[in-house]
Amino acid sequence: MSSRPAPQIGFSFEYMMWIFTRLSGLAMFLLSFIGFAGAFWLGARMYLTNNSFVDIGALARWTFFPNPNHVVNTNIPDVAVGWANAWWQIMQITILFLGTTHGMNGLRVVIEDYIDRSWLRTLLRGLIFLLWIFVMLFGIYVIQAS
Amino acid sequence: MQVKLKIFRYNPEVDKKPHYDKYEVEADPTDRVLDLLEYVKGNFDGTLSFRRSCAHGICGSDAMRINGRNRLACKMLVKELGTDKILVEPILGLPVIKDLIVDMEPFFANYRSVLPYLINDEPPPKKERLQSIEERERFDDTTKCILCACCTTSCPSYWANEQYVGPAAIVAAHRFIFDSRDRAGAERLRILNDQFGVYRCHTIFNCTEACPREIQVTKAIGEVKRAIATGKIE
Ligand code: FES
Repeated sequence: MSSRPAPQIGFSFEYMMWIFTRLSGLAMFLLSFIGFAGAFWLGARMYLTNNSFVDIGALARWTFFPNPNHVVNTNIPDVAVGWANAWWQIMQITILFLGTTHGMNGLRVVIEDYIDRSWLRTLLRGLIFLLWIFVMLFGIYVIQAS
Repeated sequence: MQVKLKIFRYNPEVDKKPHYDKYEVEADPTDRVLDLLEYVKGNFDGTLSFRRSCAHGICGSDAMRINGRNRLACKMLVKELGTDKILVEPILGLPVIKDLIVDMEPFFANYRSVLPYLINDEPPPKKERLQSIEERERFDDTTKCILCACCTTSCPSYWANEQYVGPAAIVAAHRFIFDSRDRAGAERLRILNDQFGVYRCHTIFNCTEACPREIQVTKAIGEVKRAIATGKIE
């Protein structure tokens, strides 16, 4: 008996975004842990040693979008110096890309779920794409300018 | 015991809008909701319309919403509802033709779109296309489907958009994709790897909860997704 033909998966957009959603979700977990560890390494651990009030907001911004502008108001001395290397910029851009794309794709899925094949769907898809471009460019600008 | 039945009524030839009719009937706890509907039709109102055929849970005619859940009226015992108030409505997501009868055509169109039949153009062996016990076991669960539409019409993605093929069609595809005698699994996976194929499934599990045959519907959909993702039928 001959065997069944193996399925050939055309790489449809839906297929790739489906895989991307899962992988980017996992990757963002991983990157948050790295950001969290980085925040501690760059000084957030002082919160634990001198019993001062823990600024959860600053820690979260630090963890999920490690940008010196997000932590300049902390009382950690010389905080911006630690961030001034390419590694953190790459981290920021990666998190920005994964988070924005994951989220915007989520919005797109809602549209695919609820709107039939129609001009409205095309319009909303286009708007989401523009929004995605805008957030990416704006985010990269903030990262580079800081 | 005395039960209070509230039944969705709609006759497009006279009614502008659907309404609900109430009936009080004497019922045994072991009566099925179908028995109550038959009683109402026979004694109170002969115009009450619903589908039924086998009355034994195998033809799939009498799927309806009973107290908000998709059930076969012929399998739903009064005592299992745990209340004496019974609300009976047509299944959601398909156009109502009259009372509890919906137009199943969109459902069957989706079903047909996944090639729900054995495809194998190789010359048949002398006796039969043999299959091992394990190979048969692989798709046993999805052979149980009776096409009642309980699953598909419980799916919020299907309510939102009837172009979604729906869980029942994916179950039918699963039954042949994983059949070792079939040769068109790749073709079916190609059909389901579409915007309105498996990607509208957000693992809500309503289908699994609704299935009167206890098919693990969400699991079957997951296996089809995996076959698409890995390119392997295992
Ligand atoms: S009447 Fe046949 S399944 Fe209920």
